[in-house]
Amino acid sequence: MARPRLPKSTIECPDCTKASGFPLGQSEGFSRRRFMKIAGTGLVASYFADVFSPRLLQGATTANVALRNTAKNAIFIFLPGAPSNIDTWDLKEGAWTPSDFNATSYDNNTVRFPQGLMPMTAAQLNKVTFVRSGLSWAAVHTLGQAWAQIARNPGGATGSIAPHIGAVVALESQLKRQPTDVLPGFIALNSSGIPASGYLPASYAPFQVVPAATGLPTIAHPDGATRFSDRWGFLQQLDSSRTTGALGKSTLDMSSFYTQSKALMDAPNINAVFSFTAAEHTKYGASTFGDSLIVARNVIAAGKGTRFVQATLGGWDHHSGIYTKPATGVNSLYTQCAQFDPAYASLLADMAAMPGSVAGKTLLDETLVVVVAEFGRTVGVLNNQAGRDHNLRMTTVWAGGGVRGGNVIGKTDVTGGSVADFGWSGNRDIRPEDVTSTIYSALGIDYTTMRHDDPLNRGFEYVPFAKDGTYKPIDELFTLS
Amino acid sequence: MKQWIALAVVAPTLLLGAEKETCPFGPFDLRSPREQQVSLYHQLSVTAEAVAPSGRHRAVGPPAGVISYPASINYIDDEIFGKMRTDGIRSSDLSSDDEFLRRVTIDLTGQIPDSATVTAFLADKSADKRAKTIDVLLASDAFVDRWTMWFGDLVNNVQVSANSREFAQGRNAYYNYIHDSIKANKPYDQMVRELLGANGDSFASGPPNFWVRQIQPNGPIQDTYDNLAAESGRMFLGMPLQCISCHNGLGHLDQVNVYLKGHSRYDFWGSASFFSRGRATRVSQDPNNKNLVSWSLVDAATGSYQLNTTSGNKSARAPIGTQNTVSPAFVMTGEAPRAGEPWREAFGRMLTANPQFALAAVNYLWKEMFGLGIVEPADNMDPTRYDPNNLPSGQSVQPNHPALLTRLGNDFTTGRYDLRAILRTMAMSNTYQLSTKYTAATWNESWTPYYARHIPRRLMAESLMDAIAKATNVPVTYTITSGGTTTSAMKLPDTLEVRNNVYGRFMDEFGRGNRDDEGRSNDTSIAQSLSLMNDGTVVVNRTHRATANSTVAKTLASTTDPNTITDQLYLTTLSRYPTATEKAQAVAYLKSGTLANKTEDLQWVLLNSLDFLFD
Repeated sequence: MARPRLPKSTIECPDCTKASGFPLGQSEGFSRRRFMKIAGTGLVASYFADVFSPRLLQGATTANVALRNTAKNAIFIFLPGAPSNIDTWDLKEGAWTPSDFNATSYDNNTVRFPQGLMPMTAAQLNKVTFVRSGLSWAAVHTLGQAWAQIARNPGGATGSIAPHIGAVVALESQLKRQPTDVLPGFIALNSSGIPASGYLPASYAPFQVVPAATGLPTIAHPDGATRFSDRWGFLQQLDSSRTTGALGKSTLDMSSFYTQSKALMDAPNINAVFSFTAAEHTKYGASTFGDSLIVARNVIAAGKGTRFVQATLGGWDHHSGIYTKPATGVNSLYTQCAQFDPAYASLLADMAAMPGSVAGKTLLDETLVVVVAEFGRTVGVLNNQAGRDHNLRMTTVWAGGGVRGGNVIGKTDVTGGSVADFGWSGNRDIRPEDVTSTIYSALGIDYTTMRHDDPLNRGFEYVPFAKDGTYKPIDELFTLS
Repeated sequence: MKQWIALAVVAPTLLLGAEKETCPFGPFDLRSPREQQVSLYHQLSVTAEAVAPSGRHRAVGPPAGVISYPASINYIDDEIFGKMRTDGIRSSDLSSDDEFLRRVTIDLTGQIPDSATVTAFLADKSADKRAKTIDVLLASDAFVDRWTMWFGDLVNNVQVSANSREFAQGRNAYYNYIHDSIKANKPYDQMVRELLGANGDSFASGPPNFWVRQIQPNGPIQDTYDNLAAESGRMFLGMPLQCISCHNGLGHLDQVNVYLKGHSRYDFWGSASFFSRGRATRVSQDPNNKNLVSWSLVDAATGSYQLNTTSGNKSARAPIGTQNTVSPAFVMTGEAPRAGEPWREAFGRMLTANPQFALAAVNYLWKEMFGLGIVEPADNMDPTRYDPNNLPSGQSVQPNHPALLTRLGNDFTTGRYDLRAILRTMAMSNTYQLSTKYTAATWNESWTPYYARHIPRRLMAESLMDAIAKATNVPVTYTITSGGTTTSAMKLPDTLEVRNNVYGRFMDEFGRGNRDDEGRSNDTSIAQSLSLMNDGTVVVNRTHRATANSTVAKTLASTTDPNTITDQLYLTTLSRYPTATEKAQAVAYLKSGTLANKTEDLQWVLLNSLDFLFD
């Protein structure tokens, strides 16, 4: 059969339609010249640090945009599975709405909120701004989840090498690190399996922690500090390739992680940062997610080098039984909100009461707290399984780090399924790329940066096409009165 | 991420709602970014010519003059040493006997050699002892375990993924099929044909799970056909056919894959159409648990790939003019099934007959043995860029050794896809047997794609776990869901087993992945070094003399001589004798305190040494 002509593709792939670098292998490019220059010096032991030094950014290109620079840290709260927006951040009351949601008006009647579902968060709404004109790219969990965390199409050209947003933040903060900054730049709590450092060095990958009241299980040596000190000393003496690099880059990486581990173990009271009391555990909702936000708070408050913390709470994929009452023990919106609400609200309240690093600022003032999912859920009446299915329309939730709380940006229509007013200068749907641009801008990171050290030699954009103006920060978060 | 997704999700038709989905790529690429990335210099070196033209090399290479290389054992050495000679690159020396033995044992069986094997091998004066060792390893049960793990990774055999549920029963059936096939040395092409054309119940036999693993619950059946075709391409052709499952190559893949740039979504549908007569139906396996289902897979006599979808994970499939269906046509050749030939069987026949099938396989296998594929990324092979003498304008050659890739592929094909034979050829080569230590000059990372020295790699998660247990002589007993127990992590049927105890978490930390959206990785991290130093259960308790039968306890019970203790711990842990310097340091260390304590300390130090962690 002859191959018929297909109609022209209407699919737009943000990453693979445009190339931002050089054709494959054709041009020598910055990284190769750099590579050869350094490799030619024979500085095998140190050149990777050099190649990946943030100073290399001097060779990167940007669009030189204005940045907010209002935050020192970010806490990225990820809700995979995707909560229903019209039952939470963008409440649409209908015949389906359970009466115990107790829909209530807040912030001078600008926000309707399910007080009964999230009573503690309701009391913090003056710190919170909802961005309701968000739109995901894909209604597939794994795809949408990765997209939200790497700010690009995971299946696109640079998706396979892309670092997590937090790894970029860790890299960008590297130059500001002090000798006392013993903690990794990026810590992930209860977040196993998330994207890591991509093509960046593994040292910028998330340091994965499963929170426990007693702290990190491997922070102290079981046979005691004296034995450890003796063992460590002999390990360095006996295993000379740790420093000579005779076995190459991967072994040097491992050796460097040992050194970082040792610094962590030696730092005074570091395990206190990862530990918590029974009272705190209860206050934050007595859940692993709550424990994660206690540790997130502690890590940021400690000011020991961590700039980006992710905490994850899954279980929102309510295709069926979304309103099943918690007494049944079955996962539903009630059970998940019962974990989210005390943890999130306590985090905001605690950080607002803790001093920041600068006089007159609170810790919350210096820390952007953003709540993100991979997409939203269908609107209106429930499906025949008493649940809600995947839908692209979604709300993101912002607080701290210069965000003016008590506001709403963007307005959906009466159903919550479409946008009535985009509510920002972009006058279009707010994409994960815009959310990421906002985080970077708040942290003073130029979101239009294009690095030239990527292995594909295409040029690696922190946010694809941001330099062309395709995506940009939601500045209204910081400017609304 | 699967734990974030309710496992018993009823699969409703995906509603795209009021919003237009603009780029419904899906499902998500299963490899982790790090896994594909290899490392900066590896990727930079994807094309050896482009990265390092010979003139450039001479500028930083050794002085001109006659360079000698190890003898050429086979065509691998002809190609590898030949290119090095042309470009004036020196190789490292051949590995010593102990280095060779440890490496080849880990690579072929996933295990470290025990001290008796080491001492016997070192004492053996016969000229062919390396060949004999390779043959012993190829015939061992441990070989079957290690390459069953490899094949399970390749086809992502796993009890549960974001989209699919094989259940432990189906996963075990699949595992047993792979294990038995490799044990019997079933030709690799035959295995692949059996998977692609499988019929039967997914709990009762393994191969139907190939289909079950690709079921896409939240979309039309064409999404499942697409997964089967795309994943077949990734696994068995080493090509990202996923890319053209949503859109044509032209205008999208120009910078990614020149071959696929020339292919359309319609071409892809032709491959997916081969699966459109497969019929998988649920079979309830437990009256008390409606969720526990196997799948019964058969071929229907009729059926076709319909162009009639508007929902799901791909953009709409709409009729083209009056054409409502797409007939089967293999994406690489356009070939159609023979009259009366079941379509999936035909697909398997065509795929395994295509030269790219053998090239993808040998490239994956080469990467397992040498640490760097001849083509990287190994699942983005671009046949249009294989031939240095026939390259598209402006493009560079993709394989770092094009002729070698061809010869390996031909060898694998003429050898009837014998896994052991091609691995034997690789292990026998002096290229494989080069030392990781490079003494000819200051090492230059741009020589990596020349394979001028063996590339050290951190042991894979299961290998490392088994090595710790074996070196310390304190085994772990793992319980497999619906599958009994085992004392070897390499025998675990997927990478989700023993997920929730210290050993499972340890192997997670060491990158065993989930055969879904976290690929296997041999990256390193702070969490790994903290665990190696401080994890009481996995590591530190195993160094204690109080732990029954531990190497330390047994050694101390048999001798108080620091020299003997040092030798024994080196043999059991690093599978070699200490060097003279190491021995002097270790003996002095053992004498510097209470002998029993110091013996524990030495055991801990050796477990944390780079020589133990890397291969």
